[in-house]
Amino acid sequence: MSTTVVTMAPARPGLLRRLTRDPGAAVALVFVVVVLLAAIFAPWLSPTDPFDNDLSQSMAPPGTEGLPLGADAQGRNLVTRLLYGLRASLAMGFFAVILGGGIGAALGFLAAFYQRWLDAPIMRLVDIMLSFPAILFGLAIAAILGPGMPAVVLALSVATVPLMARIVRGSALVVMRADYIEAARATGMGDLRLIWRHLAPNCLSALFVFATLRFGQVILLGSALSFLGLGAQPPNPELGAMASEGRNFLFFAPHIAVIPSVAIFAVVLAFNMLGDALRDALDPRLRV
Amino acid sequence: MLRHALHRLLLAVPVLFGVLLIGFLLMQVVPTDPATVRAGPQASAELIAEIRRDLGLDKPLAVQFGLYLWRLAQGDLGVSIINNVPVVQELGATIGPTLELMLASLFWSIPLGIFLGTLGAYYRGTLIDRGVMAISVAGVSIPVFFLGLILIWYVGFKWQWLPFTGRGGPVWTLDGLRSLALPAITLGGVFVGPVSRMTRTAVLDVLSLDHVRTARAKGLSERLVVLRHALRNAMVPIVTLIGLQIGFLLGGAVVTETVFTWPGVGRLAVGAITSSDLPMAQGTIIVLSLGFILVNLIVDVLYAALDPRMRAA
Repeated sequence: MSTTVVTMAPARPGLLRRLTRDPGAAVALVFVVVVLLAAIFAPWLSPTDPFDNDLSQSMAPPGTEGLPLGADAQGRNLVTRLLYGLRASLAMGFFAVILGGGIGAALGFLAAFYQRWLDAPIMRLVDIMLSFPAILFGLAIAAILGPGMPAVVLALSVATVPLMARIVRGSALVVMRADYIEAARATGMGDLRLIWRHLAPNCLSALFVFATLRFGQVILLGSALSFLGLGAQPPNPELGAMASEGRNFLFFAPHIAVIPSVAIFAVVLAFNMLGDALRDALDPRLRV
Repeated sequence: MLRHALHRLLLAVPVLFGVLLIGFLLMQVVPTDPATVRAGPQASAELIAEIRRDLGLDKPLAVQFGLYLWRLAQGDLGVSIINNVPVVQELGATIGPTLELMLASLFWSIPLGIFLGTLGAYYRGTLIDRGVMAISVAGVSIPVFFLGLILIWYVGFKWQWLPFTGRGGPVWTLDGLRSLALPAITLGGVFVGPVSRMTRTAVLDVLSLDHVRTARAKGLSERLVVLRHALRNAMVPIVTLIGLQIGFLLGGAVVTETVFTWPGVGRLAVGAITSSDLPMAQGTIIVLSLGFILVNLIVDVLYAALDPRMRAA
């Protein structure tokens, strides 16, 4: 039994206040919360079923009675479609960041912790993965698995792994030089426990900032892949796929394409602004 | 510099191998038999067996990989399942338009981005700076297809100023130039944001260096300090960062080509994947990857050439 005295970075008071000092960031934060809630509670908030169609209402413009955002070409209520589309797009981004970010972070920690043996091979792998833009992962994986959400989530995850690995490794290398790591090691603590208890918590701010910024990028990329027909397949509601469907009716009913496009734009913008503000508040030196 | 270039070249080898391996595996995981496809629907079993032997499909996987590399080296990427056209022929017809689109986009977006970024750094902390930052964060957040659809709706459909489907001809003809305009504005439009953001950061970084303080102490005007001392020294990081964004540009190009039915490699790739035309999909993915590796290599060497400190290394 040993008691480890560890000097953790003191919890910074008033993160929320510092974050919201910038009015833009405050608006972004509120918007992100609202969007997350809307996505989570979409089945309860939606006035109709997402697949309910009423062809007599086909392409009804926004403001039609009972259809505040209008209807799409199939006569489906766009409020419902928007809520479910948000849900699908955010879920896609969430799984991609969790999966790719998780693997990337693990690789980053291992590279920094076992610098002697693992750093070089892991970083070479990261370099090689960085040699491919996300769109190529998207195309290749969609070609192998066939178009669909699993292909897009996998592609976005793979594209996230090397980026997260680099960020975490950089942050972990700094922490590794701290005295408390040496102290913890001296107590005979096992490697994995040391990483989990002392290395990882001190890299969290870098990890969190990057995950927030990446979430926006991943949604932008994923919706583009869906727009191309490589992701969510109609009639499933997903913002990029909805914009793609609406594109066919652009000249008769522009709102069908514009509503999901504006939603993507707003969500990505909010996550980017929030990520920038988080970075400034948590770690001004960190540039992603 | 030579060592640096050599190092990058060596790194490109496993990447290249990875691309070719992925291309090869792509054809292995699919359920369709290439020999049956190549022979056509009415072929006899003997013909299929013969084609199978010709293609080396009866050999072990490693040998097949070697054969595949050999055919690739001879420029044989197979035949489209959909229209029986050799993949190489389709690729040859689409590479030009894709390059045209990307170069035309860079042609206006890089200067504008560098201008805006420098403006933001020069007027740092003012309303102008905030405006530049707002443009750049909006630029990295807007979906490419949204920008394209807005331009199609207004410029193409409502005002009828410019065509918005297909390529009117080579870029040196008026029709070609007119048809290139909207796609190039769209793709460049999403590139201005990242370039201005990186430029602003790079210029601000240089502004905090000693030689800039000396220039200021000399009594130079702020305009001269920024233009002559800061921007010039920031060019190396700017070029590097722009090089790193080429992948982002490639992704945008695929979407832009689809929105404007521009006859490029990206649109060809998407069409091939959604119609399960695997030989064509394989060919487009290989070509796009090779192009990307090549551009990265050029940027790396260019970067070394731009920075005198790198030459000694």
